Amino acid sequence: MTRILKNRWVDYAILGLSVFLIFCLIFDSYIELPNLVAWLGRWHPLILHFPIVLLLIAVFLGLTGKKVPDELLVVAVLSALVTAVSGFFLGKETLVKGDLLFWHQWLGGGVALVASLWYVLANRGLSGTMYTKVLQVVMVGLVAVTGHYGGMVTHGEEFLALPTNKKEKEIPENPVIYADVVTTILEDKCVSCHNPNKKKGELLMTNLEELLKGGESGQTLIPGDPIKSQLISRLHLPAEDEEHMPPEGKAPLTQSEIEILERWVALGASDTLRFDQLPESEPLVALIKGLKEGDAESKWASLPVVADSTIKNLSNDYLTIERMAANSNALSIDVFSPPEYTAAPIIAMERIAANIVELDLSGLPIGSAEMDFVARCQNLEWLEVDKTPVTDAEVEKLTALKNLRLLKIYETPVTDKSISVFKQLGSLKSLYVWKTELSNEALESLKSENSGLAINYGINPEIETFFVASDSVAIAK
Amino acid sequence: MKEEKKNNENPLKVNRRHFFSQLSVGIGSLALGSLLIPDLFKGGGAQPLAQQPLGIPHFAPKAKRVIYLFQAGGPSQFESFDYKPTLKKRMGEDLPESIRNGQRLTGMTSGQDKFPLMPSATNFKQHGQSGAWVSDYFPHIAKIADEITVVKSMHTDAINHDPAITFFQTGSQISGRPSMGSWMSYGLGSENKNLPSFVVLTSRGKGNSQGLYSKLWSSGFLDSKHQGVLLRSGKDPVLYLNDPDGISRSDKRHLLNEVSQLNKMHHVETGDDEIESRIAQYEMAYRMQMSVPDVMDVSKEPESIVKLYGEDCQVPGTYAANALQARRLAENGVRFIQLYHQGWDQHGNLPNAMAGQAKDVDQASAALVMDLKQRGMLEDTLVVWGGEFGRTNFCQGKFDPKDFGRDHHPRAFSIWMAGGGIKPGLNYGKTDEFGYNIVENPVHVHDFHATLMHAMGLDHEQMTYKYQGRRFRLTDVAGNVIKDLLA
Repeated sequence: MTRILKNRWVDYAILGLSVFLIFCLIFDSYIELPNLVAWLGRWHPLILHFPIVLLLIAVFLGLTGKKVPDELLVVAVLSALVTAVSGFFLGKETLVKGDLLFWHQWLGGGVALVASLWYVLANRGLSGTMYTKVLQVVMVGLVAVTGHYGGMVTHGEEFLALPTNKKEKEIPENPVIYADVVTTILEDKCVSCHNPNKKKGELLMTNLEELLKGGESGQTLIPGDPIKSQLISRLHLPAEDEEHMPPEGKAPLTQSEIEILERWVALGASDTLRFDQLPESEPLVALIKGLKEGDAESKWASLPVVADSTIKNLSNDYLTIERMAANSNALSIDVFSPPEYTAAPIIAMERIAANIVELDLSGLPIGSAEMDFVARCQNLEWLEVDKTPVTDAEVEKLTALKNLRLLKIYETPVTDKSISVFKQLGSLKSLYVWKTELSNEALESLKSENSGLAINYGINPEIETFFVASDSVAIAK
Repeated sequence: MKEEKKNNENPLKVNRRHFFSQLSVGIGSLALGSLLIPDLFKGGGAQPLAQQPLGIPHFAPKAKRVIYLFQAGGPSQFESFDYKPTLKKRMGEDLPESIRNGQRLTGMTSGQDKFPLMPSATNFKQHGQSGAWVSDYFPHIAKIADEITVVKSMHTDAINHDPAITFFQTGSQISGRPSMGSWMSYGLGSENKNLPSFVVLTSRGKGNSQGLYSKLWSSGFLDSKHQGVLLRSGKDPVLYLNDPDGISRSDKRHLLNEVSQLNKMHHVETGDDEIESRIAQYEMAYRMQMSVPDVMDVSKEPESIVKLYGEDCQVPGTYAANALQARRLAENGVRFIQLYHQGWDQHGNLPNAMAGQAKDVDQASAALVMDLKQRGMLEDTLVVWGGEFGRTNFCQGKFDPKDFGRDHHPRAFSIWMAGGGIKPGLNYGKTDEFGYNIVENPVHVHDFHATLMHAMGLDHEQMTYKYQGRRFRLTDVAGNVIKDLLA
């Protein structure tokens, strides 16, 4: 028997830890830890990195036929055992272990015990033999799988899932507030730490029953009282606060997500409440409508980056370029009438055409060059070309604007020819067309095809008549 | 034009604190700095709102501009939007102590030994789909009941005109804070570089008037370029727009360049930011020479518009003329347009005077909303109509239903809003049957400010200005956004 290290104590330590680990794994459910020992479990996330690296180096050396230094093997095996034991201690903090944790625990134990076996083989002088090689290959697999399960426990099961274009869960026409909206938010932002595998604060957020049961601090969810419900109050704390949820490093909830949860709790945290049961003045109505439309900021997140210097260079005294919001690359353009109008400053915005979501060209003598440019602003949502000389020929160019929501084209010479273009603008919600050549019949047919469209024909004649007739203002004598 | 936060580059402006705060990001301590400030090298990432450059909304705004129709003096809610039939039933009875609850009174009525309930001097009807109650004094506003949202549960802290109007405009009863228009100009910048971003127009009815002071549109401790510009009521809204004889436009340009050079030299010597503002003001005045005549020329308005606002809109200095002017300014990218109409302080002669005041503003206010709507501007322009407080449900002075007065009442009053991000056709908030106390959805002045800022894309808690060693906000340390009002 060739001894690696002339030190019996190493043998005893490895044997002792292995036996202790096996005992722990087998009698798991009978064990209760004293506080101080349980605290040792908290070191698991720190020390677990050592055995991974040391074992992999050792395996690499072994498989490439180099000699594995004795000290390296000893430290690797010891750290693997200590990690497994501390991991076991940490695992005791969750009362009910989920699948992920169960597998992570047994695989981790496996890593440590296989490492001990390697130490035994090395002691017997079997280094470099087939036995050891097989064991080393198994070791690599075990380390990888254990690590993966550990990662899923910490970061959630979806953490390493391939990035997909997250299709927003379609919200149905008349959603159940809890099932269709609230759970989506919770799954997105909370469940990764509050699930059976990782029951932070003894709180499960996987279903309403568990939420009502609460966790360590009780008072998680008190229907009708968002202020006392920690589910809500902790969201509102400043980000640097200890109690703030989700904790630092995790994606926080957006303002509208917080508001939705808050209103849902305020309305009694019901799991049957439907959208159409809400009164029109209830803020939830607007919030959920906003969800359906997708909030503006996220819609614009994919726009190309525009530098402040670009904005500065392209704007002038009569052309204002504003960002729609902080940190946003969506732009709003206002062009005012300069003393001598030329199309050049407008056409010069070619570089940022894709970023323009609002464009105001009211009252300018624009022609086909400008409208060609407008047609290239494919993300345009808001366009004002009222009081301009645009004709049907120019309107023709707008068919590409699939996101156009609002179009002001009053006081222009457009005629019924343009109706076919308006019909192709699928997103159009508001259309201002008074003082044009458009006939009422044509507009009616447009309305019948796009029921969500509000067409403004100018001031209601009936009301206008009232205003003109009852001129209530007595001129001061 | 984006306005960068001023980096106090002038060596005279560095004080001890500034020096130490700069140390942590000095070249020599970059590494340490990045440990202390994790996002130091992130660059391009999302910064917290408070560190955002100025002149950009915090989030996508629902409203881009505000037209605030301020009815100075405190119009009575009992003759406008808060219908209380109980007052008719209990006319002349003393206001129950349980309702008044020791509420403080002004010196004008505290001497009265009786507080007889006085019903509305006029009749009310319900209007539109929303079923809003509007008094007969306001037939035109009644016609647009479905466009506006009446808030019947406003309340304020102040009981007298000056503190109350100062509170409404600046968020503090004591003068010296920036006006809300200045905050908006500071936070959102200007949409049109050729006009001020905050413009004030005043008019006066025949009713009992209270003073208006320029502190109401002062920029307080903010840079003076955010101050409201008061346009004169009369033939020339801005004086001396034309250059003197013999001075050409290019001479003027040359002169301004030289003056600006001198000013810049002075700025280097003293480090006073107001000098930079001065340079900017000269430039603005130069550009306004070109822009103002065009914007203020209402003669181009068609007959139909004149009829809509009422013939008065062609008489400079009237409320109707200012309302029409407000629309033109809004079209030209002025961020905050504030009208004041004086004369709503009816301590006596209410039935007559209130009818007269209503006549002044009713048609033009409603016409403005409809005109904005047909231009698609109601989608991104927020209109507010209201005074600094309400009036009492009991009579001041002699009890005569034909000729009586009402005293100031801060505990509950009505305002209305329309457009930009506000739900239309809502009747929000409720007072008790006496119209004395709020029983549902109170909206404090700070809440109103917070809501207005939210509509404009600003987080009222994040928009702060550090001055005299503390940070200031329009909403001070209060204010909640009233979500129910937001579309």
